[in-house]
Amino acid sequence: MDTIYTLILVPMVYLAFFVFFAGIIWRITALIRKPKLPTTLKIYPEKKPAILWALTDTFFLPGVRRNNPVLWFFLMVFHLCLLLLFIGHLELVWDLPMFQMIPHEIFLGNGFLGIILSVSLLFFLFRRFISPTKDLSVPEDYFVLILLFLTVIFGSEMDWARRWYAYEEMGPAEYRAYLQTLLAFKPDIGDVNISGHSFMLVLHVFFGNLFLMVFPFSNLMHSIFAIPLNKLRRG
Amino acid sequence: MTEQLNSDKELDLKGLPCPMPIVKVSKGIKDIEIGQVLKAVTTDPGSLNDFPAWARSSGNEILDTHQNGEEITFYIKRSA
Amino acid sequence: MDKQLQDKLLELFTGKLSRQVQLYLDTCSRCGVCSDTCHVYASMPIPKYTPAYRAEVVRRIFKKYFKAQGKLLPVLGEAKILDETALDELKEAAYSCTGCRRCMVYCPFGIDTQQIMSIAKLLLIGANSEPEILTMLADMSISKGESIEESKERFIEGLKRLETDVIDKWKIKAGKTPIPTDAQNADILYVALAGAHSIVPAAAIFNAAGENWSLSFFEAVNFGAFVGDPAKTKLISDRIVNEAKRLKVKEVSICECGTAFRVMKHLSGPQPFKVSSLTEVHARYLREGRIKLDQSKFDLPVTYHDPCQMARNAGVIDDPRFILQHLTDDFREMAPDPKYNWCCGGGGGLVALGEETLDFRMKSARVKADQVKKTGAKILATACENCHTQLSDLNDHYKMNVEVKFLSSMVADALVH
Repeated sequence: MDTIYTLILVPMVYLAFFVFFAGIIWRITALIRKPKLPTTLKIYPEKKPAILWALTDTFFLPGVRRNNPVLWFFLMVFHLCLLLLFIGHLELVWDLPMFQMIPHEIFLGNGFLGIILSVSLLFFLFRRFISPTKDLSVPEDYFVLILLFLTVIFGSEMDWARRWYAYEEMGPAEYRAYLQTLLAFKPDIGDVNISGHSFMLVLHVFFGNLFLMVFPFSNLMHSIFAIPLNKLRRG
Repeated sequence: MTEQLNSDKELDLKGLPCPMPIVKVSKGIKDIEIGQVLKAVTTDPGSLNDFPAWARSSGNEILDTHQNGEEITFYIKRSA
Repeated sequence: MDKQLQDKLLELFTGKLSRQVQLYLDTCSRCGVCSDTCHVYASMPIPKYTPAYRAEVVRRIFKKYFKAQGKLLPVLGEAKILDETALDELKEAAYSCTGCRRCMVYCPFGIDTQQIMSIAKLLLIGANSEPEILTMLADMSISKGESIEESKERFIEGLKRLETDVIDKWKIKAGKTPIPTDAQNADILYVALAGAHSIVPAAAIFNAAGENWSLSFFEAVNFGAFVGDPAKTKLISDRIVNEAKRLKVKEVSICECGTAFRVMKHLSGPQPFKVSSLTEVHARYLREGRIKLDQSKFDLPVTYHDPCQMARNAGVIDDPRFILQHLTDDFREMAPDPKYNWCCGGGGGLVALGEETLDFRMKSARVKADQVKKTGAKILATACENCHTQLSDLNDHYKMNVEVKFLSSMVADALVH
């Protein structure tokens, strides 16, 4: 068991990040190498400055809001929580004073953001069982949602699971120690594999690793392509 | 005399807007044998240019064209 | 399908993979927001009529032959081989899409379904499976360009018979030609359609405005664009470009034909002349006081259908409304507004395919008929030949009880001294 824990917590993490970054760079390079279409593909009426409107379209999804307000609500909440949790993970590694302008405890949300995320993910998943989204969806779409759901559920409920065992035993300080050794390329899993809720951490990291490795080869790349695409529409 | 040209099939395309006369003629000509003649009557002034161009690109032959007021009559020999 | 044909089609596919198109193919989360933004799906809720489904038909082939995921784990993205069945699906997808780009407005990523469908159309041409009428019409247009010297006489002869109609609408000084052709250094080269309805009103208005204009020998419509053949599209628009260069005109004005205008204005690169739509020219005449209109000419409520290729896809939105303000006191805007306007259901070559597509065109544009009826207007103006034909068909089919009119003919009928 220890070996499996170690494999997931160390080499697999490195592999995942390598695949993640290399994959993204590969995808972007493949795109940039393609010839550019010389004609405009924008939609009218045009509004200036195009880049600001493209950013608005990317982050506030006005088309979705107009068409499907319920989906829009979940999409906004989901992506906002995702962003906050991303910040939360950064704070787990470093002290980031700029985010402490609004003082909060590390780790951000203590599982609540994760619950919101999980509910949104279930909403996205169940939408795909109803026509016409059902007819449009391919296995990848379900797979990615399920993978993300598993990552989120184990990650967000780690703090809750801690309460079942010795609460003081393994918390943000231990996570930080582990993550910093990884970053320094002197991996040391320290105490994160001995506590009762370690299995939650390991599962979180395991699914997170899979998620990172799937990312560049799936429709998750929409997160990176959304801005250039929206720019195309705005001209 | 053009009036005496015999045709094997006639198409009345009067009042049809462009490109319908050409669409109908290109379908209609498939109903006759190679060597037979199709007579088509249109009122669309554009067909004066369209028909010869179509005949060229489709390999058919316009035997005669004549105008009578609004009406334009074409005699087309199926050659392809 | 034999290997040779498949290779040829994949080569055509590769040629289509510009940066933009690959971005469109690389991205889609299949969220389905586009579904009911398509008039076809909104009128007939069958999944294959959603924009995302149509795009997936192309995307599955893309995944199979161009993506690592599709090569290694085809099941994940349902990657599909390019065979006869795929061709049938491509045809169904491409010719149930009018290229109106309404879905693109709603898509969170702004994916251009028309661009993706242009791949489908090109593959169909490669496999000789495209609607042959469209190719026939495109070939006819190209042939006309090649034999222009032979047919000039006939064309001018034909125009002579229209002269009295032009003068009936607007008297000109004796000795002036009502429909000038081949005029060197004209300020405007007007590119019409073959029909009299596209030439007569426009000529009267040019004459009323005292314009130094010339009528093109060619018709504006680009059947090459409908069938999705880039080479033919270019040959057809080049006929006009060459004529404009030869006559050294300052401006080329395209008649009421949405596709022809968008191809010339936005899709064929920079030109040494200004490109404008007839509607923009008329609005300019009004603004400059070169023509005056009788506002009481039409005493019925008027609404305006924005042709997708003119408004949403080319930006001619305010000018038709400006003109209509001079034509009526009772203008009724459709809801939703131009950016979100429903397509008439006739674009993308569907109208040119005539009766073959009539049943589909009527069923797929129910939402358009409802939108028109809701305005309560009695005159339905538009500025596109395709839309005009389709809206007239819809008028009969859905008993919309309106009169479908070209904006230019309304302007010509309301001219005052």
